[in-house]
Amino acid sequence: MSVWNYVVTAHKPTNVTHSCVGNFTSPQELNLIIAKCTRIEIHLLTSHGLQPMLDVPIYGRIATLELFRPHGEPQDFLFIATERYKFCVLQWDAETSELITRAMGDVSDRIGRPTDNGQIGIIDPDCRLIGLHLYDGLFKVIPFDNKGQLKEAFNIRLEELQVLDIKFLYGCVKPTIVVLYQDNKDARHVKTYEVALKDKDFVEGPWSQNNLDNGAGLLIPVPMPLGGVIIIGEETIVYCSATAFKAIPIRPSITRAYGRVDADGSRYLLSDNAGLLHLLVITHERERVTGLKIEHLGETSVASTISYLDNAVVYVGSSYGDSQLIKLNLQPDVKGSYIEVLERYVNLGPIVDFCIVDLERQGQGQVVTCSGAYKDGSLRIVRNGIGINEQASVELQGIKGLWSLRSSTNDPYDTFLVVSFISETRILAMNMDDELEETEIEGFDAQAQTLFCHNAMHDQLVQVTANSVRLVSSTSRALLDQWNASSGFSVNVATANASQILLATGGGHLVYLEIGNGKLVQAKHIQMEYEISCLDINPIGENSHYSSLAAVGMWTDISVRIFSLPSLELLTKENLGGEIIPRSVLLCNFEGVSYLLCALGDGHLFNFLLNTSSGELSDRKKVSLGTQPITLRTFSSKDATHVFAASDRPTVIYSSNKKLLYSNVNLKEVSHMCPFNSAAFPDSLAIAKEGELSIGTIDDIQKLHIRTIPLGEHARRICHQERSRTFAICSLKNCQTITEETEMHFVRLLDDQTFEFISTYALDTYECGCSVISCSFSDDDNVYYCVGTAYVLPEENEPTKGRILVFIVEDGKLQLIAEKETKGAVYSLNAFNGKLLAAINQKIQLYKWMLREDGSHELQSECGHHGHILALYVQTRGDFIVVGDLMKSISLLLYKHEEGAIEERARDYNANWMTAVEILDDDIYLGAENNFNLFTVRRNSDAATDEERGRLEVIGEYHLGEFVNRFRHGSLVMCLPDSEAGHTPTVIFGTVNGVIGVIASLPHDQYLFLEKLQSNLVKVIKGVGGLSHEQWRSFNNEKKMVDSRNFLDGDLIESFLDLSRSRMEEISKGMGVSVEELCKRVEELTRLH
Amino acid sequence: MWKAVKDREAGFLLPSSFATRIRSHRVASLDLSNHKEIVSPHNGAINSLQVDLTEARYLLSGSSDGSAAVYDIQHATDYERGLIAKHKSLFVVDKQHNHGHRYAISTAIWYPVDTGLFITGSFDHYIKVWDTNTTQVVMDFKMPGKVYRTAMSSIATTHMLIAAGSTDVQVRLCDIASGAFTHTLSGHRDGVMSLEWSTSSEWILVTGGCDGAIRFWDIRRAGCFRVLDQSRSQLGRRPPLAESTSKKGSVTGQSSSVKSMVSQRRIPLGNEMKQLRAHRKSQNLTRGPVVQRLHPGLSSSHNRATAHYGAVTGLRATGDGMYLLSSGSDSRLRLWDVDSGCNTLVNFEAMRLQPTKALQLAVTQDSSLVFVPCLATVKAYDVRSGMTFRTFRGHYELVNCCCLSSQDQELYTGSNDRQILVWSPASPVIAEVEEDGKGGWDSVADQDNWSD
Repeated sequence: MSVWNYVVTAHKPTNVTHSCVGNFTSPQELNLIIAKCTRIEIHLLTSHGLQPMLDVPIYGRIATLELFRPHGEPQDFLFIATERYKFCVLQWDAETSELITRAMGDVSDRIGRPTDNGQIGIIDPDCRLIGLHLYDGLFKVIPFDNKGQLKEAFNIRLEELQVLDIKFLYGCVKPTIVVLYQDNKDARHVKTYEVALKDKDFVEGPWSQNNLDNGAGLLIPVPMPLGGVIIIGEETIVYCSATAFKAIPIRPSITRAYGRVDADGSRYLLSDNAGLLHLLVITHERERVTGLKIEHLGETSVASTISYLDNAVVYVGSSYGDSQLIKLNLQPDVKGSYIEVLERYVNLGPIVDFCIVDLERQGQGQVVTCSGAYKDGSLRIVRNGIGINEQASVELQGIKGLWSLRSSTNDPYDTFLVVSFISETRILAMNMDDELEETEIEGFDAQAQTLFCHNAMHDQLVQVTANSVRLVSSTSRALLDQWNASSGFSVNVATANASQILLATGGGHLVYLEIGNGKLVQAKHIQMEYEISCLDINPIGENSHYSSLAAVGMWTDISVRIFSLPSLELLTKENLGGEIIPRSVLLCNFEGVSYLLCALGDGHLFNFLLNTSSGELSDRKKVSLGTQPITLRTFSSKDATHVFAASDRPTVIYSSNKKLLYSNVNLKEVSHMCPFNSAAFPDSLAIAKEGELSIGTIDDIQKLHIRTIPLGEHARRICHQERSRTFAICSLKNCQTITEETEMHFVRLLDDQTFEFISTYALDTYECGCSVISCSFSDDDNVYYCVGTAYVLPEENEPTKGRILVFIVEDGKLQLIAEKETKGAVYSLNAFNGKLLAAINQKIQLYKWMLREDGSHELQSECGHHGHILALYVQTRGDFIVVGDLMKSISLLLYKHEEGAIEERARDYNANWMTAVEILDDDIYLGAENNFNLFTVRRNSDAATDEERGRLEVIGEYHLGEFVNRFRHGSLVMCLPDSEAGHTPTVIFGTVNGVIGVIASLPHDQYLFLEKLQSNLVKVIKGVGGLSHEQWRSFNNEKKMVDSRNFLDGDLIESFLDLSRSRMEEISKGMGVSVEELCKRVEELTRLH
Repeated sequence: MWKAVKDREAGFLLPSSFATRIRSHRVASLDLSNHKEIVSPHNGAINSLQVDLTEARYLLSGSSDGSAAVYDIQHATDYERGLIAKHKSLFVVDKQHNHGHRYAISTAIWYPVDTGLFITGSFDHYIKVWDTNTTQVVMDFKMPGKVYRTAMSSIATTHMLIAAGSTDVQVRLCDIASGAFTHTLSGHRDGVMSLEWSTSSEWILVTGGCDGAIRFWDIRRAGCFRVLDQSRSQLGRRPPLAESTSKKGSVTGQSSSVKSMVSQRRIPLGNEMKQLRAHRKSQNLTRGPVVQRLHPGLSSSHNRATAHYGAVTGLRATGDGMYLLSSGSDSRLRLWDVDSGCNTLVNFEAMRLQPTKALQLAVTQDSSLVFVPCLATVKAYDVRSGMTFRTFRGHYELVNCCCLSSQDQELYTGSNDRQILVWSPASPVIAEVEEDGKGGWDSVADQDNWSD
């Protein structure tokens, strides 16, 4: 890997942090606006559900998202504030469907300490001012003038330092805030203040309430006519106003989100940290509040935001599970829940850990993440591939072949679907109700297996069976002509196009027929030395009805041959080698380049460049797609030709920039496939699977596919073991007993195919799993799982005891082989030189695996290294150990074999609070830190002085805007012989917001080229709300802010492909490179993920 | 701590709160370090300590024997018995040096931008600017009296001024860029023992004099613009609404009365709004000068206000720029609200302070604790409540200075006993006697060497 890195998002953030509902895009339209940390999505509410309108990145982490309507405006504006103290006001431009920036600014201050509990941004319900609580002790006010324009902001001193929540009260003559705060003695109170805009100060407000519930954490202002505020505590809910005080007790819970149901504010939805949804009702007589009522509705994901849409439909945004669209029913279902989930939106966040595995051993990595938290914990299998969305399916056993036929040559749609079985052929057709119905084509032989079927010229159909070739009129469906195989030589394989038929009969006979109007003419016949296994005459020349080449695969000598047509002269013979016969050949043309594809019986695929005039084959390449025989078939989608390889690992082969690419399909074992473009199912594929025929549409090429394995508990660490084909996870389950909530921690073993728990080891009380690896030791052939734990005692600030547990998988069970007590939490484990390297609190400790006299093994400590605050993240390479410290950045240690000692070699002296580290190469190390930055450091082993050698030099800095939990070397795309992308070394990262990203190391020339492209793009693509890209990507922590360097923003660069042609040309001019070349180079990059 | 790490990675705990929480835990567990020692080369009292502001790696000390020394506090020079890190000075400049100070160094500070320069001030009336790499004096300033304290602004981007207080009544600003005095600030009636630049504005300097006054200067303008008055407090700064007091009585019942009051208030409010609009523009423009008008015309009574009875011996601004802490020879510690200039009246529990020497206080990054040298001990007080949080006993004689490294949460204290002690967050390193094969470690580092 190198110094020059390219950072790109493979999976966008899915953690929903904010949402709001209003008339944003038009006064008549109701919109749901969702913030996913660094992106906003605008949806339109329609009778069919949510319709996405816009999904844009924000150059900042969204801290506040509020809709408001200034006086005199017909529709709402959107206020966004970011964590780095920028704000903007956005308006929808209906003409261009874009966001217009109405106002923007910076609200950072030199004084004040950033608030501990997150930023608060609120807008006065009467739109007189925006209030921001960004720093302890300061309340920033941005007043509106009477035209709804924002004026200069000012600060007001807030004496309450530990503020938990601030809201504006409704119906106040002067803007009035209510502040929920905690005092020095940890008691919680609310207080109101009027904002005196003229004096730029507070005036004591109309009321206050002292000594609330100790868990009070959320304020809900109640609209007029009731007014006042609801204070949500852990054990009570209180309604409070100048005139009334009502309280009700609730079951102890922590409420995280609320949503208002009615405009008059009499009903609210509350969601707690167990995902239980409650309805809170304020009972009132006219304008006098008489009491509160709370009712349990059911369970959803743990909500971070709730937006009541309309007609009892509610959007539940979640940070710890999938977000949901739910409907509240009037009557409970059998389980007593009033909730019906209408839709789920996948959320990978928080990705606490992940591993990259190649479960199918096909050269393509899959990411298995530990996602979600609490009860919504899950494993997610994320892979690159193409999805088939099944639209209809029918049970059919024993399908041997599938073809679609049109009823006339000019019909744009397919009508018939010919399904062949071992001793019969059935024909399905679309009826008037768009249903597939069995029908008959009189001229076809329905009592035999169809070997091939095709539309021929002159409104004719061709059916090839073992005994005959039948030419049938597609209009009258009557038999026009028939060619019979000579007796004793039945047809084995056959192929046809609109005007030609090629078939092979037993004994190696190759027969070439031409199709005339109502006639079949045998034009040529030759005999080969061996039996023929497969054939193809797919026309790839200019004439789409006639092929001048035929491809033939042979038994016995395992070759593929090219013949000319109609003369059947052998042009080329290519021996494939090996003992597996070719099962399918295909002539095809992608982007003007002709290829011969040849698939073997063992799942391998050859591809050759084909010279269409001479029939020569060149540039032979072999890839493995699966393990079972492959059948190849072309289909087109979005006006491009693709090839579908049906096998146990169905794959779509397509070309991009004149390179063949392979993408997996999210189906298991497909035996046959044909395109089926009917009026009811346009652009669909008919797919024969085990016992089933289904029709589905195909997704865009190159999209991530996510499979969810719900665990019902929070998985925190994962690792895969090749030998036993299992995963081990460390997980925890929250157990709610009557008196208290406890956590139970487990080490669990999962089958890597079924993802079922196959074995569980329960950890001790208070013990939790901190790390897990699969490793083996020197002088021992077994592969073990090693688990590092910590005893987290309630009274201890820092664990002083932990264990290293060594398990072996025997008969699908975890067997504890050895255990070793440690003097602290085992934050990290690494296999290191046939030994085990553990990071235990401040210390790096090396253990060797010793054989005891009784034949058992034990871990024996060999040496250690002190000098860290907490060694949280450790990676190793050779004898080098790279440590990411809690707060002291990265240090490099060296293990000295002879002395059996670990020494510090170099250190980065910056104060980075690490969250993940990875070794890019011998000298360059990558780190992610607490303020959402990435950086790289380099070892300076050639430096002249000790001082310089002992210092890791910072060489790259970048603000990612995401909290990275883990880096892993690997790739999401298949490593292919003919793609450069396959050779770019990459690191994958996973973040709290559910982002899966890729960091790719680029050669210097490419880096420079892309850097230039990026700077040109920055000029053309303006950030939403006028936010600056340069500022957003600048490395930023408490102490410093410096421009990003040696990192490129791949998301920005790849957005080049979404630009309009004119803007592409603008950039092309600035770069002095043609648009095509730019597209090509950017597309190349998109293939990294 | 494992729990915090766990919560952070799942997103339950904001990364910023994580850092704050860990820092405060660590500061709360400060104790005499059992694994780190600074070997003091000084033969006199330690008067000044500062960790560099760029990397928090180099500690600078100034001593009464006229010497200053620099230590690498991140990288030990050697280890005693394999575990106790010894940090010896990287270099010492003392009286033997060609350009060394002749008398006691009272103050030694780093150039805030990088560690290439440091500045010492001495009782020999000189302020010297040193090149760290060559240990040569690159510049010196002759002051009219013994130098008590120097200070540079850590946030300055447009100036390189050393503010210096001495036995003279005038505070001088020495410009490193030109090598000359740029300002002479007059106002104090006695020598100036303590100086502090504002942490929110690079132009604001605060000085504390032996006359008991704390003065605020905006160096872009003439004169001092604020003198802190210990009798002026924030009480009543934000008086409750006249209505709201009466309302409190009525909270129990009459909703109607509240309503009527609301409607009463509407009328004046409307007028105010109009005025507000009319004067908006002019007011915006005049706001700055209005403040300024105060200072040349500080009424003479105001000008004579005192912050302490006796000399102001130490000043420390909190990192958030909101508060100022001052210590005085009256054995008081006061907390001032910088914005309003009011005494917050936080009552810091009883303490006895050295009355005759400038003291160096330290504040944690989150401004929650202040470390004050109290005779031979150092006390940590909770800034908001004034309660004693901890007392650090270790020095044998009077402590003069404390310095907190915000990066490592380590406290360094210097005393008349010529020692620099390191107080670090509790670490079980020493207690941990693993079967490393290096079992020669049996006697636990004897803390009794230092603590009484």
